[in-house]
Amino acid sequence: MELNVIITGVGGQGNVLASQVLGNAAVYKGFHVSIGETFGLSQRGGAVMSHVRLFKEPRYSPLIPPNRAHIVVGLEPLETLRIAQDHANPETLFIVNSRPIYPLNVIAGDVDYPDTAWIRQVLEQGGSRLYWLEGTQLAIELGGPIMLNMVMLGALCAIQSFPLETKDIKDILGEIFPQSKLEVNYRALDMGEELISNYEN
Amino acid sequence: MEQTTVQGQSNLVREVLEKGICVRCGACVGICPYFQYHDGKVVVSDWCQASTWRCVQVCPRLPYDRASLYDYFYHVNDCTDAIGPHRQVVAARSGDKLVRSAAQYGGVVTALVIFAMEEGLVNSAVLTDRGGDLAPKGVLCSDREAVLGCAGSRYSASAALSELNLAIQAGNDRLAFIGLPCQMEALGRLSLSEPDGQERAGHVELKIGLFCTWALDYRALRSYLKTKGIVEIPKKYDIPPPPSEVFIVETNNGRMEFPLSEVREIVQPGCSLCEDMTAEFADISVGTLEGDKQWNTVIVRTDKGMELFEKALRAGVLEQKEIPSSNLEHLKEAASNKRKRALRARGEESNE
Amino acid sequence: MLLQANEAIARGALEAGVIFAAGYPGNPSSEIIETLAKASRDLPIYVEWSVNEKVALEAATGASFAGCRAICSMKQNGVNVVSDFLTNLSLSGTKGGLVLVSCDDPGGISSTNEEDARAFAPLSDIPLLEPSSPQEALDMARWAFDLSETINNIVMIRSVSRLSHSRSDVQVKDLPDFDVQPYFDTKVSFHTFPIVAKHQARHEKLRMAEELFENSPFNFYRGPSRPELLVIGSGCAVDYAIDAIEIMSLWERVGVLKLGTTWPLPRKLLLENLQKSESILFVEDVDPFIETNVKALAAEAARQVGVKTFHGRGSGDFPLCGELGPSHLLEFFGNYFDLDWKDQEFRNKMGSLTKGKIPPREFGFCPGCPHRGSFYAIKTALAWDDRDGFVSGDIGCYTMGIWPTGFNQVKSVHAMGSGSGIACGYGKLEGFGFDQPVITVCGDSTFFHATIPALVNARFNNADILLVVLDNSATAMTGFQPHPGTGKTAMGQPTQPVDIAALCESMGLEVHVGDPYEMKETARRLYDLMQKQGPRVMVLRRKCALVQGREGGFPYDMHVDQSLCVGEECGCGRYCTRIFRCPGLIWDKEKKKAMIDQVICVGCGICAEICPQGAIKKEAKG
Repeated sequence: MELNVIITGVGGQGNVLASQVLGNAAVYKGFHVSIGETFGLSQRGGAVMSHVRLFKEPRYSPLIPPNRAHIVVGLEPLETLRIAQDHANPETLFIVNSRPIYPLNVIAGDVDYPDTAWIRQVLEQGGSRLYWLEGTQLAIELGGPIMLNMVMLGALCAIQSFPLETKDIKDILGEIFPQSKLEVNYRALDMGEELISNYEN
Repeated sequence: MEQTTVQGQSNLVREVLEKGICVRCGACVGICPYFQYHDGKVVVSDWCQASTWRCVQVCPRLPYDRASLYDYFYHVNDCTDAIGPHRQVVAARSGDKLVRSAAQYGGVVTALVIFAMEEGLVNSAVLTDRGGDLAPKGVLCSDREAVLGCAGSRYSASAALSELNLAIQAGNDRLAFIGLPCQMEALGRLSLSEPDGQERAGHVELKIGLFCTWALDYRALRSYLKTKGIVEIPKKYDIPPPPSEVFIVETNNGRMEFPLSEVREIVQPGCSLCEDMTAEFADISVGTLEGDKQWNTVIVRTDKGMELFEKALRAGVLEQKEIPSSNLEHLKEAASNKRKRALRARGEESNE
Repeated sequence: MLLQANEAIARGALEAGVIFAAGYPGNPSSEIIETLAKASRDLPIYVEWSVNEKVALEAATGASFAGCRAICSMKQNGVNVVSDFLTNLSLSGTKGGLVLVSCDDPGGISSTNEEDARAFAPLSDIPLLEPSSPQEALDMARWAFDLSETINNIVMIRSVSRLSHSRSDVQVKDLPDFDVQPYFDTKVSFHTFPIVAKHQARHEKLRMAEELFENSPFNFYRGPSRPELLVIGSGCAVDYAIDAIEIMSLWERVGVLKLGTTWPLPRKLLLENLQKSESILFVEDVDPFIETNVKALAAEAARQVGVKTFHGRGSGDFPLCGELGPSHLLEFFGNYFDLDWKDQEFRNKMGSLTKGKIPPREFGFCPGCPHRGSFYAIKTALAWDDRDGFVSGDIGCYTMGIWPTGFNQVKSVHAMGSGSGIACGYGKLEGFGFDQPVITVCGDSTFFHATIPALVNARFNNADILLVVLDNSATAMTGFQPHPGTGKTAMGQPTQPVDIAALCESMGLEVHVGDPYEMKETARRLYDLMQKQGPRVMVLRRKCALVQGREGGFPYDMHVDQSLCVGEECGCGRYCTRIFRCPGLIWDKEKKKAMIDQVICVGCGICAEICPQGAIKKEAKG
């Protein structure tokens, strides 16, 4: 058995932390976990992708083979679209934050950022299901854009086919966050979960 | 002027800056961030991508129909007088000893500017500072002290129009501008330029032009002086009238003379293309009076200029006397020669 | 527990009783020292960030000579820096177990080059271990110290970015007592003479290691006894091969010999396995290291193993550069066995929908980054000077000065300190008529790592160099590790900082200190400095924006007064977004004016200075 989740976004969105939290929770739940990252220079505003693989048997493989992602959690719309052709498939479930982070070359007028409504449409056509969430807005209400990754993890846990629940994440958060930050992160997870349970197309 | 995309700045750079004929008038600086003036040079700091441009319309080194300026300012088609359209030519000097002592010669420019400010004709004036380690630059002056601080002749350009551009953009009104013939021409072109040249030029209430045969490249001057062992900033420069062929430099260590022929090597190349010695598009033009260090030659051109000049005389701010005919002849000859040289250099020799 | 491979290496070292660790920050290796530094809060071990990799390995070696176990970690470029010491150390031998970890960066994701440091193992005649998973990284790290003490020589472990930064669940063992008494036995000496004899002895040590490798659990075979294709490989590439075999159900036809001990090659094991198949596929990153060496072995033993058909990077089946990924393996097996594996329909559909519509994401300095201010000032000063000046670059976040985010000012980047070294060359060309001003940049950490010798050289030879030290009080690009200027050690101990300006002054250099946020003022001062001769230094000091963000943040609320903004028209031409390019300053497409992205802008306020219309406003917060 294997479950492949890709978390994709822009450097600075807390992508790597999210995959670490997810991985820890999965290990406690009894899974064998493999997480592959691309970061480094990409922290400076470049694209970041995490491959999170859950197995029942002991296995290590840091990259999900092409077009075999079951779920894609997109912290940023353009970065989600960017990886779709190589990593998604018609069964892929997309959970995507709707708010763009404009690349410098877009800001400078060298290229255009695609219309987000069009990105939404393409992802909808491509995969099996798309949840298009106002993640950043919610994160800001919770305290700042940095809360986005926890909101999106909460949303991921709300998915039926995903074997973890927000409770599983909360159980291990204390190992990663200091005591003072736990409450607000629990809320972020809960509100992310609500985004899915209240989701109307 | 044809409006093609991304042609404006690159045209100006190709035709003027890269050909080395920029005279550092500063007309293109201060309108936008893409041209900057620093230490005696106008440089490109970035490439603009606008689709209409103010810079190419005002640069005095780009070809232009001079007749349109004569028409706009003087309602004539042309002018055959070597020193341009004018109401009168006299000799004059400041009535104030303090002004005269600060000045190069008669102190007329300083006196007129201070008077215009005190009379409320202008709120402030853009002049050129003395420079120092770095080349002279334009400066916005609002009081007597500041104007006095700018007295004296500069022998290099200062891109003072950049300061004027900034002053206009900052909302200053009733400005005076004191500058060289190329700058007066640039201001003339500004008046006729789109989309808002007339409106911008309208902020300038008074233009005082300075006679000019050429200006030195300041960075080259600094290097030249260094080769002569002068590293400190000179207090004063002077070029006595012919037949003298020297360039005088005064420092704290004394007074030195250098051959004018050597100094001519560091004249700005663009100056050889300029036909205007007496600043034909100013309200009042001021220069030396050959042979008489206490006085200036003053050419009054416009109604506005006449009004101010006469007021100044009546107030005792200025004294005048008749200009000797030999001086006037020499002046016209010099002006005429400069025009001929320029037209020849531009390949536009007249048929006269 | 879920551990990153780098964390696992640190854990393995601790389980082996390592008490001394040194390194220099370098992606993807930095977490090894960081993890050990954190552990030092609770364990009696010593951990340091050294000024550069050579000193790091030398320091670790001191511990080894005193009988203690020590580890030294770095990225591939660090191995280049230690190479002179390493090739001598492997002759003298070691005492306490000493392990060098090189974390290479195939594809150069966060490097200036792509390099396979495994070449140093045969060059220095030292054993080489390559883990294929975080668990193996831990187990190898633990065992490597035993191996080192058995042969009395340094052992190299080689990881790659993909592995180093990946995580998986690992089994850990207990930690030992750390009861260690360092002692240098003066009856023994560690030198390299007589050289040839020591070289011979070094080969003997390798043979000892080879014998141990023949039965090592780090090498194993999986598959049929007579596969159609035998895969031989190391590292993550083997994991992808196994994935591909699973996906395409090839276990009846393909065998995998996974190697963890890759120098010296366990020849008996290899010869035994080579006989299993006529067709051999090599999978590894980056160079055909195993491939070339096994081919030589197979040629030597051709009569025994038979003639083979080889596939791999060296044989043209995979590129000779870049990282091997799952697609490479799937593609190869697909072609070799004529099997379909791709969802071409989906790929085509997505491809045609999105072709040409996905813009790349340009790298850039963070909002508030002082380097943006520094490069803007440098650009302005060079423009004013108008003699075709340029910047000689170095390694750090400011390397991005080669791109639009740094206004394309930097024209060369190589190794740590090379910017200043190259400048020493430009600095002696004036006599030949060279008059282009050159500005050399280096960061505060780079300064200590490698710039000082070049600066002394400039003083000694009176070279005309203008060095701008971009002092943001951090080794930022690699993760904010402390260095000699920051006043704190890796273990969090306060220490006397080395003052860069004072050090330069003591060398008789002309030194100035400025603030990169004051862009106009800095440009003026740089312009003046450019007109002078001899070695000159300008230190531009302002904290890294990410550090400042964590230590109280910035003072301003920013907004654009769109009524003043001229936008694309003459007089502006989108100057702020097009030229200045801070991610916090964006373009309102509807209104065709600039605006602040309040989510990204941190409030440093420096953009207010650059608008020609004064439309960018800053207000003190609160």
